[in-house]
Amino acid sequence: MKRTKHIDLDLMRKGLKKRLLQAPLTLGIAVVALASCSNQEEVAVVNSPEDCAAKTELNLGECEAAYQKAQAEAERTGPKYNSNAQCESEFGSGQCRQSRSGGVFMPMMTGFMVGQMLSGNNSYGGSGYNPVYRYNNRRSSQHNRIMTADGTVIGKAGQRSYRVGKSTLKTKPTVTRTVRRGGFGAVASAKSSWGGGKSRGWGG
Amino acid sequence: MLRMPIKERPNWEAKADEFGFKFHSMHGERYWDERAYYQFSLQQIENDLETPTEEVHQMCLAVVEKVVADEQLMRRFCIPESHWDFVRNSWVNGDPSLYSRLDFAYSGHGHAMLYENNADTPTSIYETGFWQWLWLKENVDSGVLPRHSDQFNSLQEKLINRFKDLQTLTPDRELHFTCCKDTEEDRGSVQYLEDCASAAGITTHFVYVEDIGRDKKGNFSDLHDQVVSWMFKLYPWEFMFREEFAGLLGINNIRWIEPPWKSILSNKALLPMLWKMFPKQPNILPAFFEDELHLADGCDSMVKKPIFSREGANISIIRNKSEVVTSPGPYGSEGYIYQATYTLPKFGEHYTLIGSWLVDDEAAGISVREDSGLITQDMSRYLPHIIL
Repeated sequence: MKRTKHIDLDLMRKGLKKRLLQAPLTLGIAVVALASCSNQEEVAVVNSPEDCAAKTELNLGECEAAYQKAQAEAERTGPKYNSNAQCESEFGSGQCRQSRSGGVFMPMMTGFMVGQMLSGNNSYGGSGYNPVYRYNNRRSSQHNRIMTADGTVIGKAGQRSYRVGKSTLKTKPTVTRTVRRGGFGAVASAKSSWGGGKSRGWGG
Repeated sequence: MLRMPIKERPNWEAKADEFGFKFHSMHGERYWDERAYYQFSLQQIENDLETPTEEVHQMCLAVVEKVVADEQLMRRFCIPESHWDFVRNSWVNGDPSLYSRLDFAYSGHGHAMLYENNADTPTSIYETGFWQWLWLKENVDSGVLPRHSDQFNSLQEKLINRFKDLQTLTPDRELHFTCCKDTEEDRGSVQYLEDCASAAGITTHFVYVEDIGRDKKGNFSDLHDQVVSWMFKLYPWEFMFREEFAGLLGINNIRWIEPPWKSILSNKALLPMLWKMFPKQPNILPAFFEDELHLADGCDSMVKKPIFSREGANISIIRNKSEVVTSPGPYGSEGYIYQATYTLPKFGEHYTLIGSWLVDDEAAGISVREDSGLITQDMSRYLPHIIL
């Protein structure tokens, strides 16, 4: 056979149908088996910059920055639902909000993780401050557990600290401050004014 | 190789909606055309297209090897001197490639003759990898085409596998996709590749070319201020080298798909270089730089192509030193090359061009385009094919 053997057509569908399929009706919850100690790290879950400064070795300024990053991360990676009701059925009444970009509903982050091994030196710059959520579906055995955005349960709510696999803390992509945009696209724009925008694209 | 009429699937436009194929018609005219298909024999596919595609690709790589090591050639290829190191380093480091498309004139008999190499920003990948695959499946399922019909098209399977390799070669990075605004075709092509990358387990993001930002250090960023560390661009290198952010290329730490060395292959200067280095290879047409036209004595008809050009723009056919057919366009300021005329085969009223795809260095399938004129342009129609 000279052609692709199999294509999952459901994955190729676009539009409304697909979006409904994509949004989780129930979160895929994963209770991760304990990894070996060397692959684990102790983290604190903190719920505000002040809480962070009190419970970790980061100072208030660092905690503020960490909090901002966690919020941005939550917006990007948090579980997303088509309706507020769907979201609240998992995370509890009043615990959800509409995403900043609009459209979908997401649980509010309960807090974020800060590694205990991290001191004020620059080693913490490489670590993400992953947001966590308190799961609040009373019918689930995972009720009142703390989990990350991908549904990984890290433990019961309210613990002083949690031992998590290092991958749970895996560095998320860096966020920066953009000082200028629009530095690419000028040649295409100049050429497309030729021919009244007839061109279909810049591929060939 | 035959052109066979066939009934259109009655619901194909609804299907196109369902699968998000939005550019099947452009400016009120068909682009996807399933009123006919091309039929190849397995021998035609394997001997005349698949094998030569991989051979020609290897020759193209030999050209890159030669050009990066020669400043005079880098000039001939119009690579700005400021970016020589950027291009050279990507080759020396072995930066991996995803895909390319070689365009051939092929009639079903004799050799497929290379027109050009779309190595940097090839398009029509969705129509090829998925949409014509679906067309075949549905026509076989409904009994319109014989059960043993096949297609030269392992593109989607190979793309997903290649993305898995690329993730291994580029660990811990997330992949940004980019193309220009206001072009449904480019956005659709990029979406398809994004889907293939996701299927391979890569975390993907999208940002339009015009929205790419920079920070103080020279990193590129998307609209969420996330730093770009790995980027697929459906935007030509030769444009990027001449734009405001060009000076940051190579300074910031980004892995590129396609890698910068592809700027040597998507360049028409490739064609005279192939002719110089591999004149005996049966798929290569004689081709010459403008200042070497005296070498072209035996050719009474030549095609004049700009060093940089896309979608068949600014191409002229010259017979006995006067232009007889010309396509308009905004290209040509960097100069031209001349290639011996080799007319496209005609099936009925249609001139037919074969695009032969590679994923990395493996032949992965073909696309068939038809035009009413001799120069295949961006409004030429796409037809499916089968092997029988």
